[in-house]
Amino acid sequence: MQIIDRYSYCNRLRTVDPAQKAGLAILTLALCLVLDRPAVGLLAVLWMWALACWRAGLPAPLFGRLLLAEGFFLLLAAFGVALTIGNVAPVASLWRAAVGPWWLSFSRASVESSVALATRALGCTAALNFLALTTPLTDLTDLLRRMRVPSLLVELMTLIYRFVFTLLESLIRIRSAQECRLGYSGFRRGTASAAILAGHLFWDAYLRGKRMQVALDSRGYSGELRLLPLTYRGDSELIWLGAGLCATLLLARVLV
Amino acid sequence: MRPILELEELYYRYPGQESPALDGASLQLAPGLKVAVVGRNGSGKSTLFLHCNGILRPDAGTVKLDGRIVTYGRAALCELRRRVGIVFQNPDDQLFSASVAQDIAFGPLNLGMSDSEAGRKAREAAETCGIADLLERPTHALSMGQKTRAAIAGVLAMEPTLLLVDEATGSLDPWVRRDILALFGRLTKAGKTVVVATHDMNTARRWADLVVVMDGGRVIAAEPPERAFAQGILRDLANQMEF
Repeated sequence: MQIIDRYSYCNRLRTVDPAQKAGLAILTLALCLVLDRPAVGLLAVLWMWALACWRAGLPAPLFGRLLLAEGFFLLLAAFGVALTIGNVAPVASLWRAAVGPWWLSFSRASVESSVALATRALGCTAALNFLALTTPLTDLTDLLRRMRVPSLLVELMTLIYRFVFTLLESLIRIRSAQECRLGYSGFRRGTASAAILAGHLFWDAYLRGKRMQVALDSRGYSGELRLLPLTYRGDSELIWLGAGLCATLLLARVLV
Repeated sequence: MRPILELEELYYRYPGQESPALDGASLQLAPGLKVAVVGRNGSGKSTLFLHCNGILRPDAGTVKLDGRIVTYGRAALCELRRRVGIVFQNPDDQLFSASVAQDIAFGPLNLGMSDSEAGRKAREAAETCGIADLLERPTHALSMGQKTRAAIAGVLAMEPTLLLVDEATGSLDPWVRRDILALFGRLTKAGKTVVVATHDMNTARRWADLVVVMDGGRVIAAEPPERAFAQGILRDLANQMEF
């Protein structure tokens, strides 16, 4: 998470209007869902990967590693979709095996639907990765504010985002203090230490919340977090690239 | 010189506590002073600061701003918080926004300034605190010294005449602490009063114009450093620790 956060602040698309980046990601996501072809999903992955590396200047292995981690979970889900379990021997299957009274099998239809599902999901994931790696959460909350999303929701997002990092610091500090005193030597001691850590973090979050409330009040907080709107630049090239992306995905749908 | 803020016989007891946190504390703060507040843990320094800014209301006693009793109505509190800024001990408690610029501009926006005016105030405050190059940075990516400067800038952007700093320099390295004390010195030359709660007796002795000693919820001395360290509890401490 910290890596994603770091890159979202230091990439070449950082100052581009988040509406453009979010628009591109959502458009890709929608096309992957609507066009529903494995080739479309794979092409979307390539497009997003290329845009992240070439336009945003992110390292290619980073995008690949992220996709690999997410792809692993997708693969598990796709495997579950492809595998058929029944108590009757399957008639037309690509592969089948008997395990006791049960039959495990892969049919052509189930494999095709799992491949379609996995590639579609991978395309959508790549689009969201592109957005997450090029747009810091501050820009996204600013975009949500511009879109008239209820301010309570946006304020909660802002504070939760801030708290994630302060609590992460607390977690690392407490865990180090526990490790220094052999808090994790052995399973039982480790689970007990982890429970204490969780309880302490909860209390820490509560106290931090109270202290933050006092600090906000001292600067004139009156129930609404008024924040300075951020300024961005438009990127016409990104619009043309988005058009190209749409055209190629539609073409892939027609041709493949 | 007429004091900016006067605290008269303040009493305050936190809910559920037996002994009062403030037990008749009185203090007058004049413009352009460098003030160090010293005292043991639990002597009432932070509670006193929270009364100065209107976060806490005294059970008894009065807080006067420019000679007028603070009434704690919406407008009076807004005025008090504009005039009296407070920097807390841990900057992480104060920096709530993800971006430094947004955090610094928070106070001015709450004072009703326009976005452009608040942005200008934020830039000026950041320049004063030497963090103009960090405005676009996320607050969680700052060092402790930078966070402290950002927290100070967030208060300075509201242009207070009185700045209260609650042990915020305690966790900083000596170089950053020196720079921040120098910044406070420049602010006092511009007519602001800076009040620093500290456990560092060298800061109290060498930096401050006035040393306020607190004990048991009371102000037991408010003297120039040479006089404060020559009497009472500070004399014994000075003799034992040789600062």
